[in-house]
Amino acid sequence: MASPAVVRTILRTPAALRPLLLRAPRAAYHEQHHDQATPYGDAERTILSHALAYVPAHGFTQEAITFGAKDAGYLDVSRNLFPKGTFDLVMYHLVTQRQGLKDRIQFPDETMGVGKKVRSLVIERLRANADAGVVWRWQEALGVMSLAENIPASLRELGLLSDEMWFLAGDTSVDGSWYTKRASLSGIYAATEVFQTTDQSTEFKDTEQFLDRRLEELRVTGSAVGNTMQWMGFQGGALMNMLRSKGVRI
Amino acid sequence: MAALLPHLPKRIRLTPSSSTQWICRTCQQRRAFTPSSTALQTQPPPRPSQDDNKTTHFGYETISSTLKASRVGAVFSSVASNYDTMNDLMSLGIHRIWKDNFVRGLNPGIRGERKEGQRILDIAGGTGDIAQRMLDHATLVNDDKRTHVTISDINPEMLAEGRKRFGNSPYRLAKRVDFLEANAEDLSAIESGSIDLYTVAFGIRNFTHKDVALREAFRVLKPGGVFACLEFTPQLSNPVLNGIYKRWSFGAIPLIGQVVAGDRDSYQYLVESIERFPSQGEFRDMIREAGFLIPGRNGVDEEGERMGVGQGWEDLSLGIAAIHKGVKPV
Repeated sequence: MASPAVVRTILRTPAALRPLLLRAPRAAYHEQHHDQATPYGDAERTILSHALAYVPAHGFTQEAITFGAKDAGYLDVSRNLFPKGTFDLVMYHLVTQRQGLKDRIQFPDETMGVGKKVRSLVIERLRANADAGVVWRWQEALGVMSLAENIPASLRELGLLSDEMWFLAGDTSVDGSWYTKRASLSGIYAATEVFQTTDQSTEFKDTEQFLDRRLEELRVTGSAVGNTMQWMGFQGGALMNMLRSKGVRI
Repeated sequence: MAALLPHLPKRIRLTPSSSTQWICRTCQQRRAFTPSSTALQTQPPPRPSQDDNKTTHFGYETISSTLKASRVGAVFSSVASNYDTMNDLMSLGIHRIWKDNFVRGLNPGIRGERKEGQRILDIAGGTGDIAQRMLDHATLVNDDKRTHVTISDINPEMLAEGRKRFGNSPYRLAKRVDFLEANAEDLSAIESGSIDLYTVAFGIRNFTHKDVALREAFRVLKPGGVFACLEFTPQLSNPVLNGIYKRWSFGAIPLIGQVVAGDRDSYQYLVESIERFPSQGEFRDMIREAGFLIPGRNGVDEEGERMGVGQGWEDLSLGIAAIHKGVKPV
């Protein structure tokens, strides 16, 4: 704690700003306060939460919504409260699972690396799908999400989930890698979720191995791309210098 | 214009090319007819600051509130006999698609075993085209033979057309359709909390007091019941398309009315009343004020503003018509 580097940092900071050093660094652009806003009012939330209980038996269909409405004290005709129909049910599931992710998993061990935390978060989110009983109905949900009018909202929700996972894992990047990390995790998560829908192994062991392979590929590709760019940089610099040594004015 | 059509049957009333005034002897009132063919009026005259209790609009005219119902009644009495044909001509048949979309979106009928059928109330649905679609959808798509539709209209001639349409059909014989002559602002014949689905298609712009009608709708609906309204919008969002649409509305529609039905003024009233209707956002707010929940616009964001997955209404045909829905909270 009292290492020379730390002492130097403290002494270099203006006195007025030193209290700021006491706070743990957080990515200030994560929506800490806004993530609780949902586009659904109380009535919709009540009906949809009841409807989710019927999804394992009836799938992501209007029947599930109708049963949910009846359970919540509404009428059959109250399914008109959802202009996007079954997509509202899917979106409600996605939003509540994303917002519940921080309550499902905590990281008391501070020495765990960011990569390992990300892996745990993905697995926990997939387990949440299994706990809700929707895994065997998830292909229906994916079908609804891939309808043309629903694609923008679905991709946005995937991006928000990926952001949430990186945030909970403690990512503090402030450069372009912020975007590439989220994009790559979105892809990996989507692929793993699709794989899970056909996974019959105990406790989804095959899905975990699939995830490990994807993360390994990401790591290897990332370093390969980085090394290639570095090599090209060296070659380009060497070419410039050689031309200059021949008298070319560049 | 009069010179081009020298021989006219007596029933066609032409507006002369200059404004005239004539006095209706029975009611001792002045009425001024302004020509509509000379100036395509896309700008309605500035709305007078109306005290809602005293005056209201009848197309571009301002009249006393108490008279509006009877004036509207006169319009619909004269168009009742060929209402469906006129709709086909004016909208080039698209009104059938709108009504099909409206009914399919509502999905009336209950699947599976239930003790009671749904009760639907179709307001201003005199000729019965919405009621027919509702019963067909419930019976054929949802296999529900207990849905019941009450067709209500203020105008007895329109209801007579509805009775003609249903004739001796199976629905009539199974007593699944009823006819009720009533003013939408006063549905005391219907008990509170007894209706599952209240619909009004292309009728609400004719009501004198829309907010009263909305409150009556709120009263008769069961908790969880749905209010659904299909209506024209005053403006399209795209100004170029709006210009083309208004030229068709104000130019062609009264002309079709004159040539086919012999009644230019009624169709002039129809297009003017569309112009006077509140915009989709305003009407959605009126529905919300009556106590309904608006599908797709029920969330509240951090600043307390309304938000949701949609705007709170559904535009049809680039905004020529719109479907508004509201759900009565439990």
